[in-house]
Amino acid sequence: MKKKILLVEDERALCLLYEEELSKEGYDITAVTDAEAALAKLGEITFDLIITDIRMPGKNGIELITQIMGLRKDIPIIINSAYQSYKEDFMTWAADAYVVKSSSLDELKARIKQLLGE
Amino acid sequence: MIEKYSILSPGFERDAPRELMLLSIISQSFFQPFSLEDNLLVILTALTSGSGVGFNRAMIFLKHGDRLKGEMWLGPRSAEEAGLIWEVLSTPGIGYVEIVEHNRALVSKNEDTLSARLKGLVYAADDEKALIPAYAACRKEIIHVRQASSEPLVDRRFLNLIGVEEFLCIPLIARDDVVGEIILDNAITRTPISPTDVKLAGICGLMAGNYIYSATLHRKLLDMEKMAAMGEMALFVTHQLRNPIVAIGGFTEQLLKPDVPEEKKARNLTIIRDEIRRLEDIIYQMGHFLKVSLKEPVYFDPAPAIAAVVGSPAIQARAKAYALNVKLEPCLPEILSDPTSFGEVLRNLLDNAFDATPAGGTVTVRGYRKSPTALVLSIRDTGRGMTNPDKGYLFRPFFTTKEKGMGLGLPFIKRVMDTCGGKIEVQSRVGKGAMFKLIFISREKESTP
Repeated sequence: MKKKILLVEDERALCLLYEEELSKEGYDITAVTDAEAALAKLGEITFDLIITDIRMPGKNGIELITQIMGLRKDIPIIINSAYQSYKEDFMTWAADAYVVKSSSLDELKARIKQLLGE
Repeated sequence: MIEKYSILSPGFERDAPRELMLLSIISQSFFQPFSLEDNLLVILTALTSGSGVGFNRAMIFLKHGDRLKGEMWLGPRSAEEAGLIWEVLSTPGIGYVEIVEHNRALVSKNEDTLSARLKGLVYAADDEKALIPAYAACRKEIIHVRQASSEPLVDRRFLNLIGVEEFLCIPLIARDDVVGEIILDNAITRTPISPTDVKLAGICGLMAGNYIYSATLHRKLLDMEKMAAMGEMALFVTHQLRNPIVAIGGFTEQLLKPDVPEEKKARNLTIIRDEIRRLEDIIYQMGHFLKVSLKEPVYFDPAPAIAAVVGSPAIQARAKAYALNVKLEPCLPEILSDPTSFGEVLRNLLDNAFDATPAGGTVTVRGYRKSPTALVLSIRDTGRGMTNPDKGYLFRPFFTTKEKGMGLGLPFIKRVMDTCGGKIEVQSRVGKGAMFKLIFISREKESTP
């Protein structure tokens, strides 16, 4: 059965890119563009992994992680941000991996595989 | 029963005691939205106008590092010119802003001003053996000089410049530091300087010193804010540029793979083109935000400016999808602002209102008097509104609730309003739209015959 990944990314072009590239890797991707929609999806579907951006309109990725930790501690989370500097924010340490956005998705794919034990 | 008075009186009472008037003018320099130079000129005007202390001429030295440099010298060059200036300044209803305008005209008209001659004079600001005039600043004492040509403590170069036997040196002190010095004389009327004149000029010196100190601090604070904004900008640039670059790179990678269907090729190329356009827009906006320098505010009629912005093709094109109402009180007063920036402010707020409002909604521009000296221009929309935390961040550079926004529009508007002594207020509730109120300093138009 395909592993389910929740992708939280407010940039529509990036959403589409990740969706296509990660689907090719054999994952079932649910993409949303903000934290509220992510929380709603988490109530409906059991995901195997979450990938989230940090800077988004409305609730940011760090606030989202804090809320997810209160709901489900067992889902691995990858932060995927354009900002290197958020790594220094201790709240991001709650995530299982921190990947800086890049046009090559190799690192992101490698981290997903690692966290899903593949 | 209560009576209300404005803290900043728009005009000065002609029959008020001259001391009160002088202090009123100088104390206003702390609040007026003009440059340090403009406000200093007003202080010098107050000291020299017929209805102020009544000195004929006033010059100011300012401390730059460890030097005391001659900056401005205000006063008539002849008895005739004195009569003319004092007549203008004694016009009933003249206020702070009119004095600023009068001074600007005077400074721009006279190429060979007294100020130009003063600018060459520089003294050490902390010298035990300093000669007059620097002597007063170095010792932090008021010095009244009579028979200057026979006084060895007076610097001869200075004496040649000022050309009078009697003058008064007032050190400008703030928090125990010297910030400058004012020198006053009666070169035209030759009236002796009285002990009351000395006392009153001393009080003015204290106030002027503290004004210079607070204005300098304010300038430093603005510089620091700008530096902090630049730091934030550098961080923000990474994000703003990286996102489109990642998309361009990612979709290009897909195109380079074999057997890409034509449909997908066209789609990817469209995305790549759009992201490149977005990059161009980001670079343009950043450059614009960094470059924009605001001009000194002047009074102007806002009605034609509002009509020009509302009637512009860009706004009209966007307004097609909305009901755009403009309700201006008849014969609006003049407002104090930079006209170019004012147009940009209004255009920005209208753009924001359209962005936040679904098609079919209403955007209303209103202009009305809040008080005899304040005009409100409000822009109201029936859009999605804002949450309370959003309202708190609104004026921080790079905060945005828009998908493609840069978060530079409202900080720019705030900067424009701060520069002209105006205010901006926001009222909004989620789902109930938003209203931005710009409050400008205003004055009624002079009635045309």
